[in-house]
Amino acid sequence: MSAMNRFVESAVRRNPAWGQLLGLCPLLAVSNTVANAAGLAVASAIVLCGSAVSVCLLRKLIAPDVRLPCFVLVVATFTTLANLAMEAYAFALHQRIALFVQIIVTNCMILARIEQVAWKEGLATTLTDAVGTSAGFAAAILTLGAVRELLAVGFPLAALPPGAFVVAGLLLAVAQACSTRFQTATGDDDSTVRPPS
Amino acid sequence: MRIALRSLAVLVGLAALGGAAVAWFADLTKAQVRENRRAAEVGILRELAGIDFDGATDGDVLLCERNLVIVRGVGNGYGGEFRIALAVEAKGSSPLKVQGVRVIEHAETPGFADILKAGSKWLDSFRHGEVDAVTGATITSQAVMAAVERALQRMEGGELCPP
Repeated sequence: MSAMNRFVESAVRRNPAWGQLLGLCPLLAVSNTVANAAGLAVASAIVLCGSAVSVCLLRKLIAPDVRLPCFVLVVATFTTLANLAMEAYAFALHQRIALFVQIIVTNCMILARIEQVAWKEGLATTLTDAVGTSAGFAAAILTLGAVRELLAVGFPLAALPPGAFVVAGLLLAVAQACSTRFQTATGDDDSTVRPPS
Repeated sequence: MRIALRSLAVLVGLAALGGAAVAWFADLTKAQVRENRRAAEVGILRELAGIDFDGATDGDVLLCERNLVIVRGVGNGYGGEFRIALAVEAKGSSPLKVQGVRVIEHAETPGFADILKAGSKWLDSFRHGEVDAVTGATITSQAVMAAVERALQRMEGGELCPP
């Protein structure tokens, strides 16, 4: 698979939010404004790319039976670094979203990319996949943030927690409709789970 | 056995590496973080006072004028120690009326701590003298009430801001 294909695959077809429904907690909680969404997108990207590259470089060392604790240690380190950096250089943003930056450590989107790609593949593949997934997550959370912030002008509910579920549900429906149409047009039904051949 | 030892060594090594990275970075950002917190605190205090004044002093008494006194207080909430500041309308050393209460720093549970945000209805109720504990955040709200009470008592005793 070429680098471009892999990037599109991780960012669009296997989009962490709309394709795999991963990382929904921060996606729903921090998307009330575009600024908050951008902050979390950047923090998640730093943690994902940093941990994926580190695990990839250390993958020969990590024994299979303790790989999960090792992954969590690496992800926790990068999460703490991102949190400290935000507290020092983006204090106002940190005061609003600190809690959700700290729980990036439990984001299954990140652990999934490390387990499925970083631990098995080479550096180039890992980096492409991590950047693609980060871009996909950023696109999802920024879209949700923008739609909610715009809707909140007329419907204050959109900026509140229940509004997050409603708007996310509608966006997910749009994403599903688009991907179904796209697949019918190209005769590609790769999105369904197929038995291993 | 050898595999277990190797796994252990890798885990310990990774933990040490991660710990070292975090310690180094925390040290690097320490000064900046402290400055940010300070600036935020001064902003809160100025907004509470309603006038421009130097809120960067360290003592418990921030402002001690004839009719407006601003003091710090500490309390013990659900998540440990928290710091508040209150503005009090006073005559001499006797407090007449609470003008405002702000929470400067706290470690209460997110969500339950919403009552501690500036402009919350509950914090506002201190100005009217009738304050109730908040259902669901009993410990937090009672701790703030106790801290305010204590600060007022200290003022009355002339401990803060002597006449």
